[in-house]
Amino acid sequence: MNLSLLSAGGVTSAGLGPDAITAPWPVTATHSHGGVPVQAGLIEQKDPSLLRWQKEPRLRRASPITYFMVEAVEQALQGAPHLDRGRTGVVASFFLGCLVYSIRFYRQITEEGRRFASPVLFPETVFNSPLSHVVATLGLGGPVYSQIGDKTCWASALRTAQCWLANGDCDHVIVLAAEEFDPHEVDALHSGGLLRGGLQPCEGAIALLLGPSANGPAIGAIADGYDFRTRQEGLEAAERCLAEFSPHTPLLDTTAAWTRTAAAKISRSIIGPKAMPTEGFTLSAAADTMRALDIVASGQSPEVIVPVWGLTRQVAAYRVTA
Amino acid sequence: MSATPTPQIAITGLGCVTALGADATSTWEALHAGRSARGPLTAIGVDGCRVTEGAEASLPSWPSWPEKRLRRLSRSTRLALPAVRQALSEARLLDANDRCLLPRLEMSVSTTACGMEKGEEFLRALWSKTRTGQSARVAQYQSQAQTGAIHDLFGFDGPVMTVANACAGGGNAIGHAADLIRSGMTDIVLAGGYEALSELVFTGFDGLQSLAPEACRPFDRGRRGLMLGEGAAFLVLENADRARARGANILGYLAGYGQTTDTHHLTQPAPDGAPLERAMRRALEQGRINASDVGYVNAHGTGTPFNDGAEAQAFHRVFGAGQTKLSSTKAALGHTLGAAGAIEAVLCLLALKSGQLPPQINLLDPEPLVAKALVGHGEKADLSAAMSVNLGFGGSNAAVLFTRA
Repeated sequence: MNLSLLSAGGVTSAGLGPDAITAPWPVTATHSHGGVPVQAGLIEQKDPSLLRWQKEPRLRRASPITYFMVEAVEQALQGAPHLDRGRTGVVASFFLGCLVYSIRFYRQITEEGRRFASPVLFPETVFNSPLSHVVATLGLGGPVYSQIGDKTCWASALRTAQCWLANGDCDHVIVLAAEEFDPHEVDALHSGGLLRGGLQPCEGAIALLLGPSANGPAIGAIADGYDFRTRQEGLEAAERCLAEFSPHTPLLDTTAAWTRTAAAKISRSIIGPKAMPTEGFTLSAAADTMRALDIVASGQSPEVIVPVWGLTRQVAAYRVTA
Repeated sequence: MSATPTPQIAITGLGCVTALGADATSTWEALHAGRSARGPLTAIGVDGCRVTEGAEASLPSWPSWPEKRLRRLSRSTRLALPAVRQALSEARLLDANDRCLLPRLEMSVSTTACGMEKGEEFLRALWSKTRTGQSARVAQYQSQAQTGAIHDLFGFDGPVMTVANACAGGGNAIGHAADLIRSGMTDIVLAGGYEALSELVFTGFDGLQSLAPEACRPFDRGRRGLMLGEGAAFLVLENADRARARGANILGYLAGYGQTTDTHHLTQPAPDGAPLERAMRRALEQGRINASDVGYVNAHGTGTPFNDGAEAQAFHRVFGAGQTKLSSTKAALGHTLGAAGAIEAVLCLLALKSGQLPPQINLLDPEPLVAKALVGHGEKADLSAAMSVNLGFGGSNAAVLFTRA
């Protein structure tokens, strides 16, 4: 089941709107880890287009990631006004999920005592709460999954969309990537060895409204689930994964942090501009899909392979065709 | 265009670890003995909470792995591994060294909290300026660490879909595995869910005053809340033709799956249970099975006033006051969140196989709408179909329909 893009929505540090997906994501803030400054691409949360969602009764207490998501999905829906929302499914992918509220809630537990942690905050920490807000606010009636994992869960989410459409569970699927930044993330990324290589974390949401492909640019075969434990194994996993595709099809540069070194050893032609230095995990993976669709639509190549370097556990890749 | 026949989906392996037993057999026997796993919690800190009891599992030992290596894993990983082993072993997919015979095997998995205690440890260490051991805590927290440990131990890899649809996730993971097989994208999937007790989640439910201060009493008019638990369960789902061709023992079939999202409220179902009813009807429709042919429903039945009220209405509208029996095993096993749907799927399959129905324990004053349906001690039935139903935060609903082999 090939997937074609009907419309898109984006909330990134480059702004709001579909153009903000593939535009360079500027770093907007500096956070310090152990005295080392780390630059991050954060969202301007006082943007009126985001603040408007606070007027929705259900969204009054929602987490920042919820606002990113609902805005991105609304943009995508605006691009397809005649869509049957009741037959539209949504699958969201997260590397980190509801980080800000989860950490705030646990801080309340440890500092104020278990009995005094806010019961209002807790439900908003649950992985699928943001997506449930999106579905309730925008009236989507198809199947709904929140998927988690390393960055390859974006590829897994695309595969879920293929599965639902193949089975006729819905007519269209919105595949969504979303991440939010919390300063504690810098410490976690440092501890995980991911800051080496100049990774600049960023936040936001990208929504791609996809349907069964009739003609034109499409997301095709997906090869996912190639494991690694060490960075050397990461290269081997990538080679196993990419062996599923023609060796003559160029690769999109989707590397970040340590994967740049590994990818340099893969003997395949590279197409498109160098990957952005900012890293939004699933968000970056979603932007890569858009970049690949732009490349085939512009005629630069009839096919592109888009690798998804999971950063921590798996490698995936998929083909985008004109 | 010729229509491709929809493949039949067989279950060829199952396994579970619960607070009542380290495997499916011991859990099943304890359930039928009417036991509840409720007791004081030692695995997590609960001082200061309104409720301090729950259903804590004993971590199974793993003779081939040194204790030091096991201790590095999250609690949820340690619950998941034995359940996976049981399922793969029963499906005859393990060699003599416990390595999977399939080098690539797709997984569809559910969790809500991943390896949460590792995340909690990371934050506490960070706030107390302890720098040692942080990389291991980060590595073991996220869901890919748990599924990765399964891959490492049993020697396979493959696509992993980890769904975090709150307490309906276990049902979703199993339903999605069936969807993958139906679509032809794969022909065998290891599906299930895992969940360990954690301080953050326990405190969250305690703060919402959702925890039962005494025995958890699903579908009782005096119900006062849920009992949190922990555990894991996995099933091997397989295209039935493939299963037959390789001579696998078929334990039952997954006949239908329905999922809906209830947009009434973030943490409360629509009082009339209508979205859940739609999920149940979709599962019946997909399975082409009449409601009257379903002999047993394993309810979500958390024991909270809102959940059980909505669920009783949905059950009554779909199954009426006929022969379909109903029970919630959460009174005995606790609510295992992302693992619940998987554990309860295992129980449905065991009920189909044995004809024994898990009793509704702790019942004093039954909810009138479902009073006649609730399973009594020692009840048996000649079942041809059974359904597992789950609801979750965010309005996720899942209904999975099984039929007898």
